[in-house]
This record gives sequence, C-alpha cells and structure tokens, in this order.
Amino acid sequence: MGVSPAVSPHLMVPGAKAPPNASVNAKTLAILNNSRATTPGEGTADLAEMMNKDVREQFVEGKFLGSGTYATVYAGHFRADPTKLVAIKKMRILTDYKDGITMDSYREMKFLQELTLHPNIVRLHAVFTSKDQNLNLVLEHLPKGDLEKLWRDSSISYTREDIKAWSAMICQAVWFCHENYVLHRDIKSNNVLIAADNTLRLADFGLARSFSEPGRPMTCNVITRFYRPPELLLGATHYGGCVDVWSTACVMAELAARAFFLVSETDIQHLSVIAELFGIPTEADWPGVSKLRHWEVAFGSAPPKRPQPLSHWRQRLPLMGDDGIDLLRAMMTMNPSKRLTARDVLKHPYWTNLPRPTKKENLPHGGDEDAEKKKAIDDLKRRGGDLETGRSDKVARKLDFGVK
Amino acid sequence: MKLTEDVIYRNSSQFRNWSFTPTQLAELRLKTNIQACERVKANVARQRAQRAAIALDGGGASASDSERGNTPGLENGNGNENGNSNGGTPMRLDKEVDCLTVAEEMRLVDFCCETTIDLAKFIGLPSDVTATAVQFLRRFYLYNSPMTYDAPVVSRTITFIACKTDNANPNLDDYVAKLGKVTRDQILAPEYLIVQALRYNFEVRHPFRGLKGAHLELGEIARGAYTPVAPDTRTPSDLQAAITALPLPTSGAITDKKTISIENRLNNAYGFAANILKRTAQLTDAYFLFTPSQIMLASLLLADEPLTTFYLSTKLPSDSPTYTKLLTTLRSCAILFSSHRSYTSSTLSPEEQKAVKDKDKAEISALRKKLKNCRDPDKMDLVKLNQAQKRDAENASGGGLEESKAKRRKIAREKAEKEADDFWGPELGKK
Repeated sequence: MGVSPAVSPHLMVPGAKAPPNASVNAKTLAILNNSRATTPGEGTADLAEMMNKDVREQFVEGKFLGSGTYATVYAGHFRADPTKLVAIKKMRILTDYKDGITMDSYREMKFLQELTLHPNIVRLHAVFTSKDQNLNLVLEHLPKGDLEKLWRDSSISYTREDIKAWSAMICQAVWFCHENYVLHRDIKSNNVLIAADNTLRLADFGLARSFSEPGRPMTCNVITRFYRPPELLLGATHYGGCVDVWSTACVMAELAARAFFLVSETDIQHLSVIAELFGIPTEADWPGVSKLRHWEVAFGSAPPKRPQPLSHWRQRLPLMGDDGIDLLRAMMTMNPSKRLTARDVLKHPYWTNLPRPTKKENLPHGGDEDAEKKKAIDDLKRRGGDLETGRSDKVARKLDFGVK
Repeated sequence: MKLTEDVIYRNSSQFRNWSFTPTQLAELRLKTNIQACERVKANVARQRAQRAAIALDGGGASASDSERGNTPGLENGNGNENGNSNGGTPMRLDKEVDCLTVAEEMRLVDFCCETTIDLAKFIGLPSDVTATAVQFLRRFYLYNSPMTYDAPVVSRTITFIACKTDNANPNLDDYVAKLGKVTRDQILAPEYLIVQALRYNFEVRHPFRGLKGAHLELGEIARGAYTPVAPDTRTPSDLQAAITALPLPTSGAITDKKTISIENRLNNAYGFAANILKRTAQLTDAYFLFTPSQIMLASLLLADEPLTTFYLSTKLPSDSPTYTKLLTTLRSCAILFSSHRSYTSSTLSPEEQKAVKDKDKAEISALRKKLKNCRDPDKMDLVKLNQAQKRDAENASGGGLEESKAKRRKIAREKAEKEADDFWGPELGKK
C-alpha cells in the first residue's frame, strides 16, 4: 500500500496491522460469520448497520464539552486504548434545514475522509451514526485552542521565528488541499487549531468544495469577510485556489500584527479597506476586473488610488521582515491570476532565509485543560463564516450554489 | 513532502475502501447475497409464525414498536405501496422462499443504474453528478441486496445525496417536484441507511477530466506545440508529423472514412470515449477494478487505438515493461467495456436494437416478479421503518425528549394510526 502506519489515520483501531482493504474484508467476513443469529432484534441489522455498530463501539464517549447551533462536542477516547483521546462531534439536526443531512456535514465528511495524509489537517478518525440518527464525527483531540485565541492572549509573547513556523504549517496545509483539488473557502485564524504537540491543524471543512468543472459557476458568498479576497467581493463566480491563498496571507499578517489585518463592517466597505492598502485595480493590471458583477457599485465612480508603499507595510508588520512582506504582498496580489499559487508560496525565499522557524517543541502556546472546552463552546456558538467579534453579515452557510 | 498523483490516489477513499480484485468483488457479492437470503427466509418464517399465532388467538401485541412499523400487513391486512400485497408467496405457509442469485441481483442493480442515468438526464443533472449517483448505487449494493432494499427506492435517495455532495442545487422540494409521485419522506427515510452503507465516503474520482486533459494535450501535439518530457527526445514537429501520419483505427470512432483531418479525428475520438465514460463505464464494475486514468485510457483505446498507443508512447518508452503492463491492464478494461450490452448495442441495426430492448424488458419484469416474492418483509416500507427506529431510539434513551412532548407525540401517533384504519382513511393534514 505504500502508506506508513504513522500517516494512515483511517485505520480505526490503533495498532491494527492489516492494510485497509484487507481489514475491510476481514471485518466483513467476521460480521457475516456472526450474522447467523436471526433473532428479530439483532438479525434485523444489515451489514452496513453492523459495520456502523462496530465503529461506534470502538469509542467511549466522555464528558460534555459544549454545544451550539451546529453540533454538540464530547470528549472521548478509544475503547481499546483510553490514553488515545478524541473529540466526538455530534451533528445537530437543524430545525431550519428540512432536507435531511446538511451540506456542511456532507462536506466535512467528504473532504476529511480524503485529506488523511497531511500532518497539518485535522484528523477524522471515524464517522458513525448513533441510534437516534445523529452523525458523529470522531475527530482528533486538539487541546490547545486556536490561533486567534493565541494572538489575542497578551500573556503569551512570540517571535518572528514562531510566526514563520506557524505560517509554514498553514501554507503546507493549504497547499495539500489544493493538490487534492479541494478549496477550503473558510480559512481564518480561528479555524486553525493547535494540537498537543504544538503543531497546527486546519479544521472546519463545512464550506469546502472540489475545484469546479471549468465554466461551471460557484457561489461568491463564501469565506469570512475579513479574509475574503477582492474577486469574491466583486462577485466572481469562477475562481480557484487563489481565494484560499489570500485568506492564508490574512492569517499570517494577523499573527504578525496581533490584530485583524483588514477590518470592515460591510462587504462594500471591505472592498474600500482593501483598496486603501492595495489601490484600486485597473484593467491594465487586472484585465476584466471592471466586468465583475459588483464593480460599478464598488469602484465605478471612484478616482484612481495608488497602493501603499513598502514603508507602510514595514511599519505595520515589523515582525515579517522584508522577505516576509514580499511574500505577503505576492499572496495578496489583487489580480487572482497573478497571485501566488499555494505551490509557489512554498517556493518563496522567506522560508529558507534566516531566521529559521522555531521547532515545534519550543513554540509558545497558551493551552490548558480548559482551553478545549472554551474553544468548543465558542466555536459552536458561532455560525460558520462568521467572526467571533459578532460583526457578522450573516453570509453563514446559506450558499446559493450559483444556480439561477 | 513528495506528492505524486499516485500517492494522492492511493490515499483516496476510492482506493482504500472501494477498489477490489475481481475475486474479492465476487466473494463480497456472494457473502452479501447469502446473508440477505438467510435473512429473508428467517424474517418470512417469523412473519408466518406470527400470522399463524394471530390466526389462533387474535393477538400479537408483544411486537415491539419497530417491528410493528416494519410489518404493516400485520395490523391492517392491506399491503403498502411497495408491493407484496394480497398474499404473495411469502405469506403462504407451505413454500420455501425462492431467493435471487448473485447474477440476478446484479442484473437488477445494473438495470437500476441505467434508469438512474435516464432519470438524472430527465431532471437535468450534469454527467459527473449522475456518475457519482450511479457509483454510490453500485457501492451500496456491494453491502446490500436488492432483496433487502429495493433498488429504485434507493436510487432516488442516492441521486439526491449525490446532488448534495457534488453541489448540484440540492433542494428537496424542487427534486420531489421534478420526480413526481414521490414524497419528501420517501426520499429522506433511507438517507442514514445509505450513508452508512457508503461508509461515509462521498468522493468518487471520475475519469472525465482526465479525458479532457488528454484531448487537450493531443490537440497541442497536433498543432506542433507540445514538447515531450524526457526521455523522449523527439521535437514538437517530430511529434506533429508522427500524429498526422498515424494509421486510421479499424474500429471505434472512425470506421467509414478513408481520410480525416487530424482535428476531426481527435474530436471524434474524444466524443466516442466520452460516451463510453458516461454510460458503459458507469454500468460495469470498472470503478471497482481500475483507476480513473486506466478507465479513461481504455475508453480512448476503444475509440482510436493507434492514437492512444501513440499518446502513451509520448509518456512512456514503448519498450519499457511498464508500458507493456499498462497496455495489458488497459486492454482488459477495454474488454470489460466492449463486451457490455450498452456498447455492443450501438453497433446493431435498429430492428436488432429493439429486439434486444424487448428481451431486456421481459428479463427485467420476470426478475421483478421473482423479487416480489423474496423481498425482506422487515424492510419493505422504509418510511415507517425510519419512523419506528427514531421512536425506538427516543423510547430507549428516555432523554432527548421531554416527557410531555413524547406523550403528545404518542397520542398524535395513536390517533393517526387509528384514523388510518378508518373506512374513509385518515383526515387530511391541517397545513
């Protein structure tokens, strides 16, 4: 199989040695051999139901961590090994969505089942349905909160080396998504969680999707506003990985500034905030920009505006250094087709220049026992796509799928 | 971290959970069939015994909630919309149930895959979403038998699930309106059942984009704009000359012409291969046995063999062992396609096609008739089964619902059940 056990989290039982396919078949056989009993109770469970039960029984649900609009989270552990901790996310049945299992749940399951190989993407150990028809996602145990909590916590101090280490992990996670043709579409510091070993995990794939078929429209109403790139604000319905690259740059800048990087109250205002820093795009440096849906409203009658000079960036982000600023500006090029791709980002000299990134064991963190609980509660109170500040424009998860 | 397409594919759920050798596939289907037969027989026997008991003392009140939900025949003696009405064989006490064989099950599922494609076309779904639905259906019936869950019922829900996973405007009201003759509950009832059987894997890797890629690359070669990768030392114009000098295929996309422009040749090959991928590839076990790129190249091989072997030669030296191995794999995939009914029928005359269609129809209706007598009586009405399961879970947990709410629901349920038995049927909803 060519998959080393260390990076094959799809094995449900810790220490299982059989390759995935073999284990499926072995399991199937075992189930079939046990299925001779045809008492009405157990006998009515079919093969899939029995497999589901098998998975369910591998985990022990522990204390309640928090609940909100979308899910309830419990602590838990593997039955076979109580030291292996997990978080069990029970998807709520929503009262305002009547069409069965939600798109969010499908997306989260779909993409986390595929992106199993990367150390900086949250691990989905298993999924099972409980008896009352709730989906349960068994996720990795991430006890140290998220990146936004980290930069907000004034008791933690960190350096440019730390920023480089964190940024590298996020950029690699985004690169991995894109190599797998997955757009995350909700990258923000509060969706980047911190694991027990201080490494980062990109989480919340509830808005993710595969790259669209060329020519088929996608919704532009995604990504939390502070992190949303200009093309989406202008109403583009055809886009690629470049939208995530912009958001990633916002997260990096946020870490360096210890504040949200681009702040606004409305979508339209956000465009002018972006223009304040980057200037108003012209047909010369972004051909076709004036044909985007919201161009007229946003910039139709605005006088030309020049981008801020390098000195402005140096003053705002002293911790990034000139190479870091160069990288950020390339990741935030207004014209999405000139913006760095996630692959190009990793080739930038910033990563190999001195200073070297901090080793993971030396990274500062504010994790304590309660952080997970606090995080879980806060996370669940929020709607996807919203900011913790509550300045939400309710884009939330009402996507229009570009149809009509 | 080094990441090749191969590494990515090997880590996909499609490879991990849904790729098999032909033997594994046959064994799995046999196991599923044996299990389903046993259950059908056991459940029919149990139902017969219960009926006998009822006939004797007029009581069967000990049946649990879910059992009552599953066997509507017990309470009011009339069948439900899913058939098995007026005392078919399962209800007769003397006869052994005649179950479907694996081959018969597969025939029914294949037929349902075809109707799923037609249905999806009717409601205007793109071909990749359709293909996802069909593959979900095929995956579902690896672990389930049509004797347990009727394929047309599963197909409607699975198509809706595919709309959700592939972003194709999944609005249930629209969907139900387009289908007609089906309720929202009927679509939603088997959803959890299906996602369990799909093992919560919703990504299906298709060969469509690969074909488009190959087509574009061949176009570049034909225009003399393609520089081959090492160790191929040919220049772009060498390749251009080679592609224009290729002999015409003896079968496949072009059979009636002596000469054809290279552009038309590429377009014909693309169209021919795309049709195979959209239909024949979906109706065979190709996705379980081969990778998307193998499927893509096999369809191209059937469309235009000289073109395809030439294309491969720009990627791999034709004397390398990998090349030979690859070609063998592609040929076995191509045979899988070319021997399928949907492929061979296109070469027949209209009369012959009609004869084949009629024969198919007769075959299917005979199978459906046989199926009627060996359906698992416990899984007939998925809507009621689903309601009963929810109810049992609520009753079992005790929590979840407040006492008063549960009581209210129970009263409403009993009222509805009672009214359902009334001569004039239940009252209409108050909405």
